[in-house]
Amino acid sequence: MQAREDILFRVRAALGRSDRNRHEGETDVQAAFAARAQGPRPQLGADLAARFRHECGVQSSTLDEVAALADVPAAVARYLAERGLPPRAVVWPKYAGLPWAAAGVEAEARAARDEDLVGITGCFCAIAETGTLMTCSAPDTPPSTSLLPETHIAVVPVSRIVAGMEDGWALARAELGELPRAVNFISGPSRTGDIEQTIVIGAHGPYRVHLILVREG
Amino acid sequence: MRSQAMFFKARVGDKLADPVLQENLGKAKSKFVDARARAVAEYERDEGADFESLREAGRAIRNRTLANLDVWLETFEQKAGERGAQVKYARDGEEICRLVVEIARRHGVTKVVKSKSMLSEEAGLNKALAEAGIQPVETDLGEYILQINDNEPPSHIIAPAFHKSKEEVAELFTRTHGRPKKSGIEEMTREARETLRSHFLSAGMGISGGNFLIAETGSVTLVTNEGNGRMVTTMPKVHVVITGIEKVIPTLEDFATLMRLLPRSATGQHISNYVSVLTGVKRPEDLDGPEHLYFILVDNGRASLLGTEFQEMLRCIRCGACMNHCPVYQTVGGHAYGWVYPGPMGSVLTPLYTGIANALDLPHAATLCGQCSVVCPVKIPLPELLRGLREKQVDMDLRPKSERLALRLWGWVARRPSLYGLAAKLAVRYLNWLAEGRDRIPLLGIAPEWTKGRDFPAPQGRTFRELYAERRRREGR
Repeated sequence: MQAREDILFRVRAALGRSDRNRHEGETDVQAAFAARAQGPRPQLGADLAARFRHECGVQSSTLDEVAALADVPAAVARYLAERGLPPRAVVWPKYAGLPWAAAGVEAEARAARDEDLVGITGCFCAIAETGTLMTCSAPDTPPSTSLLPETHIAVVPVSRIVAGMEDGWALARAELGELPRAVNFISGPSRTGDIEQTIVIGAHGPYRVHLILVREG
Repeated sequence: MRSQAMFFKARVGDKLADPVLQENLGKAKSKFVDARARAVAEYERDEGADFESLREAGRAIRNRTLANLDVWLETFEQKAGERGAQVKYARDGEEICRLVVEIARRHGVTKVVKSKSMLSEEAGLNKALAEAGIQPVETDLGEYILQINDNEPPSHIIAPAFHKSKEEVAELFTRTHGRPKKSGIEEMTREARETLRSHFLSAGMGISGGNFLIAETGSVTLVTNEGNGRMVTTMPKVHVVITGIEKVIPTLEDFATLMRLLPRSATGQHISNYVSVLTGVKRPEDLDGPEHLYFILVDNGRASLLGTEFQEMLRCIRCGACMNHCPVYQTVGGHAYGWVYPGPMGSVLTPLYTGIANALDLPHAATLCGQCSVVCPVKIPLPELLRGLREKQVDMDLRPKSERLALRLWGWVARRPSLYGLAAKLAVRYLNWLAEGRDRIPLLGIAPEWTKGRDFPAPQGRTFRELYAERRRREGR
């Protein structure tokens, strides 16, 4: 505790803290929380889905599109077959009920393990400005699924595409109340530029990120 | 980490004479510069998008919390505590080490995986952990390369192995992993992934830095491309965040603004691959995530900048743009600076955090070309701060006798206009004589060091005062 008191004492002394200006400081904190003012933002136009698709390309994510959520397993089976990957995956418990067996995909609903080659998730929402998935941790949406496997497939309802990160926060406040333990913004496969500043896809996270857009409302 | 900044000049000589380093720097230096320029141009293609107003907003956000830092820290503490995190403070590197070792022992941890934390470099944490019998494993690829090279210090804040060629890395990997030597960067990256994966899954504790602390929610934010930051904060049972007290920002909206600035300024990406906002501990029904979360908020010199002309430095968001664009950094690399932070931001921070008298050369390791402040995402006036440090050295009587004497002499002459005119006239004649008709002087007798690296331009004709007087005569005034 001594370190805390010491440091705060130094900070207060440096700022010339008094009872009066302390009140001003507290007022500023409350004002910031009440206003939640946004900074300058780009105007993206009306077609957010088109922008999202374009940015996904920039991030080296691949894209598919289906009409309804029930079509997702077949699209997954098709993608895995094309890549020569086995039709086995760990899925978010949230999507345990999709017709996986009918599409010939062996899907297990649990947190991911090291040996899982394919992880299937959804997203809380998606951000058009940067082609980003916003995922929120919960018992039926564990973060490890989008992290450990080499291939990450994500379901993106078109109705959940928003313009910017600010809109994602607004949705989270409205629908979740407080923030979950982990909010992860994911933009394409993992990469590194640490050797000779040469970008290589596939570092500690997935090598491939494949997004399946779902059109139904 | 003990500072070697007082040996800057000697180190610069070594670095300039190192052909491998010079080749590596030559290959790397334009990549970040070009990428940033492209990213800023692409951002401005959207309607209403102007990078300059974004920088202004970034500056205001950072200034806002610094102005009432104590209140913002208390607010953050309270919010983080409500979500089950424990907030601790460390005055210096030693206290960081002590706290981390204590936490590790409390949870019976024998192995720690680390995502990049420059503060753990300030503290020399890896050494302290090893001495306590706890194995630290760096997981950022660049940091990992340096750790297996006998704990070499980083030379860049976002690309720690900036100075290494792929051949050097291949050599290190085959020596450390005992596997056949690889030649491609992709193969080497896969080898590192495979080696580090088992550490992620077996470590009892993860240590990360923090790009920002969000007061509104008590969260820490992490920005990475490799996914190691996510691993370190998802897989182990204990997560320890080590970050500076100046990193707190007000709201999630402010974070959104700063995330438009940080990746573009750092690597030229629209956004980094993984941006995580982490709040509190695993909930009972969650399938993954750490059960214990600790914040170690560090002063280590930061508070002493508040309320001074150097407070602006505390806005820094550690993007590395200033060093990427610095002609001195591009020429000598990061190790010459001798401590954790290189480039212009390092030349300001090192003397302020480790003592002005311990880093005398750093504020002079700049041409004051101003490029660093032009690209800084939070508009830190780095050249002015460097100049301020130079003034401090004079105030503290830290400049060499010869320099003080020369400046006093110049001051004395400059206050006597006719004497000054005569001296200037003589100097111009003398320099013209030295130049022997050329427009450059290759060796200046009174300052031979200065002309070692460049020629001195010879004055053209007479002094300004002579020319001015002649013109007035000609115009009959």
